[in-house]
Amino acid sequence: MPRSVWSGSLAFGLVNVPVKVYTASKDRSVSFHWLHDKDGARIRNQRICPKEDTEVSREEIVKGYEVAPEQYVLVTDDELKALEPSTSKTIDIEAFVGLEEVDPVYFDRPYYLVPGETAGHAYGLLMRALQETGKVAIGRIVMRRKEYLVTIRVRGERLVMETMRYPDELVPAEEAAGEAEIKVKDLPEKELEMATRLVGSLATDFDPSEYHDRYRERVLEFIRKKAEGEEVVVEPEAEAKPATQDILAALEESLRKAEGEMEAEAS
Amino acid sequence: MPTSAATAVQAGDHRVRLTSLDKVYYPAAGFTKGQVLNYYASAAPTIIRHLRSRPLVLKRYPEGVEGDHFYQKECPSSRPDWVQTADVVSSRDGTTKHHCLANDLASLLWLVNQGCLEFHAFLATTEDLERPRMMVYDLDPGPGTTLRDVCQVALTVRDALADDELEALVKVSGKKGIHVHVALDGRAPFDDVRSYARSLAGRQEAAQPDRVTANMRKERRRGRIFIDWSQNSRHKATACAYSLRAAEHPQVAMPVRWREIEEGAEGETERLRFAPQDVSNRLDAHGDLFEPVLGPGQGLPST
Repeated sequence: MPRSVWSGSLAFGLVNVPVKVYTASKDRSVSFHWLHDKDGARIRNQRICPKEDTEVSREEIVKGYEVAPEQYVLVTDDELKALEPSTSKTIDIEAFVGLEEVDPVYFDRPYYLVPGETAGHAYGLLMRALQETGKVAIGRIVMRRKEYLVTIRVRGERLVMETMRYPDELVPAEEAAGEAEIKVKDLPEKELEMATRLVGSLATDFDPSEYHDRYRERVLEFIRKKAEGEEVVVEPEAEAKPATQDILAALEESLRKAEGEMEAEAS
Repeated sequence: MPTSAATAVQAGDHRVRLTSLDKVYYPAAGFTKGQVLNYYASAAPTIIRHLRSRPLVLKRYPEGVEGDHFYQKECPSSRPDWVQTADVVSSRDGTTKHHCLANDLASLLWLVNQGCLEFHAFLATTEDLERPRMMVYDLDPGPGTTLRDVCQVALTVRDALADDELEALVKVSGKKGIHVHVALDGRAPFDDVRSYARSLAGRQEAAQPDRVTANMRKERRRGRIFIDWSQNSRHKATACAYSLRAAEHPQVAMPVRWREIEEGAEGETERLRFAPQDVSNRLDAHGDLFEPVLGPGQGLPST
């Protein structure tokens, strides 16, 4: 069981539900260490002052905010701490909205909410109420020195809280402009029909379990084989393939036989 | 670079265009698309009997077993007009999907050429899509368990069905698990079959909780055999008998005798793997062990 990252209570109206917050996602990308190629020693980071050309200890480091080129306002950790949002221990629910009203582009990170001791009943009530109304809750939480806007919704047997990006954290679409102009009007009827048909023919139910990070899997498999001392071949090596002509001849022979059998059975 | 060999063959009344015969579909075995087509052509008389009139959910591997694959309910609109389809109305949103049928040699071959390595068919036929003609338990080994464990659980499932006077059929999935089937008479609607399947799986779990789970949650499956009863659903499709499977090596979902599962339960599991080239010998030796599925079937015990 992972450790909770926050505990406090969900507050809406006069109701208070003690909850704990657990991270619901994990980073599974493969990470590497840096080694010196000659001798395999781990590369170390050092903080160097270029003026004195000496290593600087953590205690000697202060933070500077660049207000103009090479002009810094110095701030200390204590000063920043005094500015932190008061660590209120509540998730304040401010509104309930339909999930479809929330643009997925705002979703940032998922967390599980788990009822605190003796809160199973109140937690269950909120879950059912959200289910019956088909709504999600919008609230605020202070976590890790930042105030987040969150949505809370029912997913399976848990409430899931999702931290949201603020609108000013999103890059406006106009800033992602390429060379070509996007044309959505006056497209040839026929091409549009073909494109729509192609989409239709590939339409299916979305099953996330069908998808994996295939790059990660390839990297890990490659590493596993190297670790076991196997010779690693990056390109898959196939056995000699039968000539196309031979396989075609075999196929036609199989078809003749199959047809014969099926006709015999039908008569 | 392999050339993309396109050609056409005569299959029954139709000419079927085939492409990339020399594309390698199973790199570990060097098994090509042409060989996949040849397997299905030679197994066609048997596999078509099991596919006939059952709507398919296509599972396409256009780049072979190591490439992307995707599921497709709607039969590609590029299909030749002789490929038959079945209209299936979604109970969720009321939309109609046109599922492919593999009722003849040409349709089967055309589908394989579309990259359908595996054939997944409905448990019901177009005669009555609401009443399955088969029930299935998909026994899947959780992490830390072996095919031998699956065999042992398959035997207890067989015995539990026998207590209800149902005769079970069994096939190895061609991947890691075992499918236990019951041929049904088509009287019980899906809801009844599903609740029967679920309650039997639940009883198995209750009787041997350390070995069996009927719960699909991943953490419950570790060290246990998962009895998946949930495939007994009007919209779900199960890997058909004699279908090739997309594993590292080409293997077939092969009907076997219970005697072979008993041997597997004793530890002799090596003989429970079947390559495409084994199929014709087995059919000669044992006939089609899934023949009862095509017969009148059995009724579920009334509850």
